[in-house]
Amino acid sequence: MSPRIGLIPGDPSGIGPELVARLLAEDCIAEADVLLIGDRHVFELGQAQAGLSHEMTAVDAATTDWIRVDGLALHEMQTLTPDEVVLAESTEASGRSTLRVLDQALDFVQQGVIDAIVFAPFNKASMHMAGIGHSDELHYMAEKLGVSGYISELNTLDGMWTSRVTSHIALKDVADAIDAHRIEEATHLIDRTLRRAGYARPRIAVAALNPHAGDGGNFGREEIDVIEPAVARMAGGQMAVTGPLPSDTVFLKVTRGEIDAVVTMYHDQGQIALKLLGFDRGVTVQGGLPVPVTTPAHGTAFDIAGRGEADVGATRAAFEIACKMVSNWEQESAA
Amino acid sequence: MTRTGPIALSCGEPAGIGPEIAAKAWATLRDSCPFFWIGDPRHLPPGTPIREITAPLEALSACTDAMPVLRLPFQGSADKGQADPANAAGVIRAIETGVQLVQAGEAAALCTAPIHKKALIDGAGFAYPGHTEFLAALAGCERVVMMLASAQLRVVPATIHIALSDVPSVLSPALLRETIEITALGLQRQFGIAAPRIAVAGLNPHAGEGGAMGHEELDWINDLVRQMQSEGLAVTGPHPADTLFHAAARTRYDAAVCMYHDQALIPIKTLDFDRGVNVTLGLPFIRTSPDHGTAFDIAGSGKANPTSLIEALKLAQAMAASS
Repeated sequence: MSPRIGLIPGDPSGIGPELVARLLAEDCIAEADVLLIGDRHVFELGQAQAGLSHEMTAVDAATTDWIRVDGLALHEMQTLTPDEVVLAESTEASGRSTLRVLDQALDFVQQGVIDAIVFAPFNKASMHMAGIGHSDELHYMAEKLGVSGYISELNTLDGMWTSRVTSHIALKDVADAIDAHRIEEATHLIDRTLRRAGYARPRIAVAALNPHAGDGGNFGREEIDVIEPAVARMAGGQMAVTGPLPSDTVFLKVTRGEIDAVVTMYHDQGQIALKLLGFDRGVTVQGGLPVPVTTPAHGTAFDIAGRGEADVGATRAAFEIACKMVSNWEQESAA
Repeated sequence: MTRTGPIALSCGEPAGIGPEIAAKAWATLRDSCPFFWIGDPRHLPPGTPIREITAPLEALSACTDAMPVLRLPFQGSADKGQADPANAAGVIRAIETGVQLVQAGEAAALCTAPIHKKALIDGAGFAYPGHTEFLAALAGCERVVMMLASAQLRVVPATIHIALSDVPSVLSPALLRETIEITALGLQRQFGIAAPRIAVAGLNPHAGEGGAMGHEELDWINDLVRQMQSEGLAVTGPHPADTLFHAAARTRYDAAVCMYHDQALIPIKTLDFDRGVNVTLGLPFIRTSPDHGTAFDIAGSGKANPTSLIEALKLAQAMAASS
């Protein structure tokens, strides 16, 4: 059975609709059954921006077997009027539209209508204007799906994966937020996610917090007191995990193919390396949710919105990872 | 004014890989980048072709045929892999000699091979935290700045070897201002960049995102950058660190001033692992060094990689030509 992917256009003011139009013209689309969810005029806007035209067949995906419809299935919604779409601006209307479409996709996941969600970029400012009520979309989705376990954004680029123990917090709070429990959860999450993405035994490195991994305690003791014991415990189990490794050279081990993933201690530790290696090509996987949810790591790119210049590469990679994760997830459940 | 003369290369810890990579660097650079080695030839790999010189200028013509050596007898053993404190005085004299020659204008620049601090403490009561501080003391400088430079990127960490949890309290407007000023002056005087563009990284993720994840940017980093702009410096920021180092961003500045060690070292090592070179800014002369240690574990095995030293010598030459 092909993976059933719900594809949503993200913020209508950005490059999301154009990316969806471009993705639909890619070969990888044949690997899945795709359900478009959202406003017809938004999808048509993206097609006009991309200079492409896709025949879309309206379905009520909640009540009909949408996979059997001829052509491209569209679960049509009315979340905003064409007049309310203002290119390259964060608006309350576009944020509300984004959240309503996302809600519908999450409902479809819970009803078993689709197996995974791929979303084109959201705009955080718009979603906050519309009252998202959470720090980011991952926490919003986790609440909607009733997830109480550990969740974290995972980032991937060209076969390099990272997760992080702390994320959007002040640097001065990082050291206090690092504990063995969080390190183990972040490591288990990336291990589980990589297995689902097709790695039989992911090789994981845990990054150090301090320069030179603390240099034997001279520049910080977190490696000795917290990280080393956590890694030793996990390495004693089933996981192929090493660390703590100095963070200035750990990413070279990934680019050289010696390891698959790095568990980072703070936001910029991993993001500097990933964005350096492929600013616009990375993919974000929303880790810890009960189904695969992926998105390009880049944003709504207001500077080029509507110009027909958007690069579909990261969106394609997000789609391919979602398809692969659905297949492996099914095998995992069957086993 | 262009500095002429060859580059002085100090021996460093003789039991480490310094002598071996010096000989390998000479084989690569003999026709393109004249330098002379200050040390005891007993420590060089057997069979290294050398030419003893008495004055630096002789190295300019000698370098093509053999590695020019300014001989300095060391008292300790020539064994590799373990430092002999009896060599400590020689290691220090090689550095002092290099400084004298570059300050006298006989050498165009100083390049230093790695030292082993403990051996210098044991053997000579070395009283400095490191190589750089020793050079600053010899030159009479209060404050110097470490830059890492490669063909693709120059970075300056404002704080270096301290715990990450100490970074926010050690950083101060005075420290950051001094770091930016020394960096700007160094780029002007030693890199020939008339109006250096300096990008300052934020401390917090997304540069604090308006105070949502950290306040230092709002509390003082923004103000300091604006203030220095009004003084005429081409300084920008604070920039979110994660989008400061990709190829397009790197074209917008001549050096990035970073808040902590790994913020600077992750990008340069990920981009140019063994081509990064250490440059000390703020000294009255040019000083470069390879970005690695003595590597006792492979010393004497012939496996040492000279790339960083070669890059350090080439950069010293380029800096001398543009200063």
